[in-house]
Amino acid sequence: MTAVRSVNIAEAAPRPSVDTQQAPEPPKLSRAANKTFRLILRSTVGVGLVVATTFFFSRLVPLNATTAGFCYLVAILLIATKGGLVEATIASIAAMLCFNFFFLPPVGTFTISDPQNWIALLAFLATSLTASQLSARAKMRALESEERRNEIERLYSLSRALLLIDTARPIVNQIVHQIFTTCGFAGIGLYIRSTGEIYRAGLENAEVEDKLRESAVRSVVLKGESPELVVTPVRLGGEPIGSVALSGGEFSDAALQSLVNLVAIGLERANAQKVVTQAEVARQSEELKSTMLDALAHEFKTPLTSIKAVTTDLLSGSPNALQPHQHELMTIVDESADRLSKLVSDAILLARIEGGTFRLNLGTHIPSSLVNGALRQMKSLSAERDIRVDVPEELPPVRVDAELIQVVLTHLLDNALKYSSPGSPIHIGGRMGDGKVILFLADKGKGIREDEQEKIFEKFYRGKSEHHLQGTGMGLPIVREILRAHGEDVTLTSSPEQGTEFSFGLPIASGGFPL
Amino acid sequence: MSAAKVLVIDDDPQIRRVMRSTLTAHGYQVNDARSGEEGLEELRKSSYDLVLLDMNMPGMGGMETCRMIRSSSEIAIIMLTVNNAERQKVEALDAGADDYVTKPFSTPELLARIRATLRRLPQAPGQENLQPLVAEGVNLDLSSREVTVRGQTSRLTAREFELLSYLLARPNKTLAHRELLQAVWGPDYGDELEYLRVFINRLRKKIEPDPSKPRFLVTDAWAGYRFHLPQ
Repeated sequence: MTAVRSVNIAEAAPRPSVDTQQAPEPPKLSRAANKTFRLILRSTVGVGLVVATTFFFSRLVPLNATTAGFCYLVAILLIATKGGLVEATIASIAAMLCFNFFFLPPVGTFTISDPQNWIALLAFLATSLTASQLSARAKMRALESEERRNEIERLYSLSRALLLIDTARPIVNQIVHQIFTTCGFAGIGLYIRSTGEIYRAGLENAEVEDKLRESAVRSVVLKGESPELVVTPVRLGGEPIGSVALSGGEFSDAALQSLVNLVAIGLERANAQKVVTQAEVARQSEELKSTMLDALAHEFKTPLTSIKAVTTDLLSGSPNALQPHQHELMTIVDESADRLSKLVSDAILLARIEGGTFRLNLGTHIPSSLVNGALRQMKSLSAERDIRVDVPEELPPVRVDAELIQVVLTHLLDNALKYSSPGSPIHIGGRMGDGKVILFLADKGKGIREDEQEKIFEKFYRGKSEHHLQGTGMGLPIVREILRAHGEDVTLTSSPEQGTEFSFGLPIASGGFPL
Repeated sequence: MSAAKVLVIDDDPQIRRVMRSTLTAHGYQVNDARSGEEGLEELRKSSYDLVLLDMNMPGMGGMETCRMIRSSSEIAIIMLTVNNAERQKVEALDAGADDYVTKPFSTPELLARIRATLRRLPQAPGQENLQPLVAEGVNLDLSSREVTVRGQTSRLTAREFELLSYLLARPNKTLAHRELLQAVWGPDYGDELEYLRVFINRLRKKIEPDPSKPRFLVTDAWAGYRFHLPQ
């Protein structure tokens, strides 16, 4: 599984450290003891009240047994209203004993002489118990509704806090922190299944981490060893995306489920936010790249334009305009400028294709005019070569980016011109095959060794024996990338001393010609 | 014939220097401007035969400058672009340029383009007898290079005029792309289908009652264009 990162919220979120470290909850043991202690205290007070009633009415203001019984009932009701069922029951029994001892004859003993008084005593006991039970139940209801109201308030403020989360900061940390501050839990753990990360606040033991993972994987609710720890899977669309461990809270199951749902929504929102942010960043960087490439092209080509304008002008003059050695030097400058220009164009084209900043400008084109266009661009280089063009006019039109396919053709032609001897012929042809138009370009050069046939499509690879030739090592990678963008690829057939043939398919256009 | 006057509009000083020197040496009268705004100002002050206009300039930019020039003048415009992208070329032609040259260019190539753009076609045989075309609300006066559609008069640029008169001299006959390109642009041309596409569209906007449903300038798919002359 993925690495677990435990994040103490005190270090992960800058501000929350105050809340988490300065307000440690009392230890869990003392919480339970405290509860028992309070129960004993309230029971003692209850019994005290019964004793006080007894003392008051038997010694100070003597009453008859009937009246005293009613007074006891009032005291029991008071206790039941203020305390709980347990205190009221204890007080009821104490009151029954006192009533018997001090008021039912014979007074001063627990014996009862008159059978009617037995009935009175039992009726008293039944009344006081029922009264305390009713009162306790009413009190419980009030308490419960108070708790529900409290939970809803907390959930509301949690949902509001989750909506207002600062998306620029780590969102999961903030979710944990918000639960911590709004819902009054002593400890919280949040496990994110997709990243394997665990964020904790107030929970330390490693047992929690295992439980979190188990709960998320098995999608079940688990109880911890300490009874207050509950680990609940966080599901989104039925799929567990993580789990939450909560301890020391007073949430009902329904509220807990709502809280977990809020966490699921918060996490989903965090993910959506992340995706949106990533897409936006990618788009911006692509835009920036494209702008930079354009600027780069402009900056390089502008001085080259001046150089080319000068060299071509001087070289085009009458033969006597330049001394022979000046003519030779000027030719070198001219060729170097050409080479630099091609280098810049290739590098920028390759960067564009690889950066994904180019889009195919698909149109319907006739294969023979694509080939003619490419030949026209290469006119100056190919003028002295024997080039046989055999692309039938009847070939159906193809749906391609004409400009890029011409780049493919010029690069392949450039290759063929370079890697075959000046006297050998070059054959450019076209035919139908596999429901596409196949164009091919063959030379009678030395051929490409089998172990090099795949490598020549790698960027900056230069044939072992061709280091003396000028080239950028970008031509064939560009060819392959352009054809792949069209859903096609380039095929290479080569045999030593027989020559090399590059061929590729072009998809046939359906429909008319958009002229 | 006196030397043709050329205005070079480019933001790069080196290119302006080279152009000034080269074109002057080849017998042109040259002036230059550093920006589109300055170029427009210069064009208002004196008359020129041709503008060499850089596409990428700070400020107004070449494309907008071209549109501005074209809105008031039929002067020949050649645009200089760095980007070899077809879309930009078509955009330049659409903006009203007669031709474009991609940087870096060779001087002989540029000179050939300038000559071709400035060249006026010798009158084709029979062209002088062309009757003004008056049909379906369109009045085409070939002698004044003016076309009137439902009372709206617009002038044709030299290239538009040449293309239209070539087509009109051979009515109801399909003319191949290559033939049109070589006849109107020059013998060095033949595969630049985008030129034809743009110029035919420009002509359609000027002479067709409904440019999207052409009646006169008809496309014959795969073959070329035909001027349909109502009998």
